[in-house]
Amino acid sequence: MEQTLTYRKIDDTVLDTLTPPQRSYWALVALLFAGVLMGAGCWIYQILVGIGVGGQNNPVHWGTYLINFVFWVGIAHSGTLISAILHLFRAGWRNPIARAAETMTVFAVCTAGLFPFIHLGRVWLVFYMLPIPNQRTLWPNFQSPLMFDVVAISTYLTVSSLFWYTGMLPDLAIIRDRAVGVRRKIFTVLALGWTGEFEIWRHYTRGYLFFAALATPLVISVHSVVSWDFALSVVPGWHTTIFAPYFVAGAIHSGLAMVVTLMIPLRLIFKYEAIITDRVLESVAKTIVFTGLIVAFAYATEIFMAWYSRNPVEMETFRWRALGDYALEYWIMVTCNTIIPLFLLFKKVRTNIRVLFVISLLVNVGMWYERFVIIIGSVAHDFLPHAWGLYSPSLIEFGIMIGSFCLFFFLFVLFVKHMPSVSMTEMKETLHEGASHAG
Amino acid sequence: MPADTVSIMGVFSSEHRAASAIDGLRETPWTIERVHSPIPSHAIEHALEPPRSRVSWFTLAGGIVGFFSGFLLAAFTSLRWSLIVSGKPVVALVPFFIVGFEFTILFAVLGNVLGLISQARLPRFDTQPGYDERFSGGHFGVLARCSAGEQEELARFLEENGAEIKTDF
Repeated sequence: MEQTLTYRKIDDTVLDTLTPPQRSYWALVALLFAGVLMGAGCWIYQILVGIGVGGQNNPVHWGTYLINFVFWVGIAHSGTLISAILHLFRAGWRNPIARAAETMTVFAVCTAGLFPFIHLGRVWLVFYMLPIPNQRTLWPNFQSPLMFDVVAISTYLTVSSLFWYTGMLPDLAIIRDRAVGVRRKIFTVLALGWTGEFEIWRHYTRGYLFFAALATPLVISVHSVVSWDFALSVVPGWHTTIFAPYFVAGAIHSGLAMVVTLMIPLRLIFKYEAIITDRVLESVAKTIVFTGLIVAFAYATEIFMAWYSRNPVEMETFRWRALGDYALEYWIMVTCNTIIPLFLLFKKVRTNIRVLFVISLLVNVGMWYERFVIIIGSVAHDFLPHAWGLYSPSLIEFGIMIGSFCLFFFLFVLFVKHMPSVSMTEMKETLHEGASHAG
Repeated sequence: MPADTVSIMGVFSSEHRAASAIDGLRETPWTIERVHSPIPSHAIEHALEPPRSRVSWFTLAGGIVGFFSGFLLAAFTSLRWSLIVSGKPVVALVPFFIVGFEFTILFAVLGNVLGLISQARLPRFDTQPGYDERFSGGHFGVLARCSAGEQEELARFLEENGAEIKTDF
C-alpha cells in the first residue's frame, strides 16, 4: 500500500485534514468541553466543601483519583514507546502512528498530572512539594517515592512535550509554506523558521536520535517510579519487587490499546487508509498480544509468590482479590487484559478493524480495572480484619473521572483538526527514494 | 558574498539528482552555499560529507550537570531535615540516585534542545534568498556560487543534472 504513496500524496492527504471543520466537529468539541466543565465544576465543589465529598475514607484513602492517575500515566507510555524505542529499532510501522501516539502521550500526561492536584484536597498547598526556599525552612523529602513521582512526571511531561514539538518542526514548515494570511504568520512562528536546510537537518537528526535514546530509559523509569508509590509501602499486595516491570508492561499494554482506539476512527474520518495501513494496525495488534502475555505472566507470578511465601496475609490478599467483594472487578481485569487479547493471535481477528477496535476498548477497560484491583483491593483488605472496609466512588469522583476523559479527548480532537496528525516528513522517509517522488 | 560573484539555486525533483549534482559541484571551483531537502537525506549527506554535529556535547554536558544537580538537591534537602529514620543514612545513595537519574534525563534533554537551536541557529525568521516553498514538500535545492563570468556555465551544469534554475532572488 505504502508503495503507491508519493511525497505529494502524503502532503495532500494530511493537509486535507486541516481544512475548516464541519459543524459536527464543533458539536463534538462543544460536547467534550461541556464534559470538561462538568469535571471542573466537581473539582471546584470539592475544593469549596472539602476532600470528604469523595468516597475515600478509612481504610481506602486512595480511590479513583489515584486509579485515574496511574491509568493516564500508563496511557502516556506507549506514545514514547512507539516513537522513541521503535525509532531506535528503525521499525517502519512506527512512522504513520508516531505523531498521534506522541500527542496521546502529551495529553495523557497533562490529564494524569491533574489527579495529584485533585487528590491533594487543599490544592493551594501544592508548593509544599516543590524544592523552593521558604521561611519555614521545610524542604520536600526525596526519600519518599511520592517525591520521586513529582520529579519523574514533571520530567516526563517536559521531555515528551519537547520530543513531540521538535518532531513536528518540519511538518509545521510544510503547513506554513501552503498557508496564507494570519495562519501563515502563526505557522511561521511555530515552525521556528525551518527551511529544510541540510545544516539544520544535520543537527536535527543527531538531536532527535538523542531525544529517542533519552526518552527510552525515561519511559521505563517513570512507570517504575509510579509503581514504587505502592511497592515501597508494606501493604500486602503492593510490597513486591515485581511491581516495576509489571507496571511498565501494563502501561505499554494499555497505551497500545489506546493507540488502536484512537487510530481506527482517525483513519476512517480522515481517510488515512493509504497511510495507516492494515499492516500497521496488525503490527500494533501483535504487540498487544505480546504485552498481554507479559501482563498475564505478572498476574500469575503475583499469585505464585503469595502462595510460595506461605505468608498468610499475602495469601489472603490474593484469595480475596479473586473470590472476595471485588472478584467481579478482578475477573474483568483478567479477562480483558490477558484472555481477550489472545484472540488477536488469529489473523482473521486482528485484520478485522471493527473487532480490533472493540478489543482495544476492552483492554482499556481491563487496564482501568487493573488499577482498581491493585489500589483498592490491597488497602481495603490488609493486615487487620477489624480495619477492613469497602470503597465505592462518589458522584463527585465520577464527575471528575468523566471530566478527565473528556479533557483528554477534547485536547486530542482539537489537535488532530488543527495540526498534522500524521508526520508527513517521517512518512516520506519511509518511501523508496525514487527519481520522481515529487509527484 | 563577494560583489563579483553570483548565486544560482538549482531546484531538483529527485534526491539522487540533487546528490549527483552536489558530487559534481564538489569537483569544481564553485561553492555550495546551501542545500535544502524535505527529508534528512542519506544520499545528500554522503555527497556533502559534513562534519559530525556537536549537539551531543550539549546533551552530555546537560546530563552530567543534571545528575549532580538532582543528587545534590536531594542530599541538601535531606540534610536540612537531618532526621535518622530506622537507622538509615540521612544522605541515602539509592533513593537519591533515582532523583539524580531523572534530573540527568531532564537536563540532558534541555541540553539537547539548547544544542539543537544554537547549532542549527533556530529560530530564524528572515527569508533566505532562493528559498522555494517546494523544498518543504518534495523538492531539493542546491544553492551554488560562482564568479559573475561563470554564471551561464554553472546554470548549464545544474540543468544538465536535472535542475530547474532560479536566479531571481
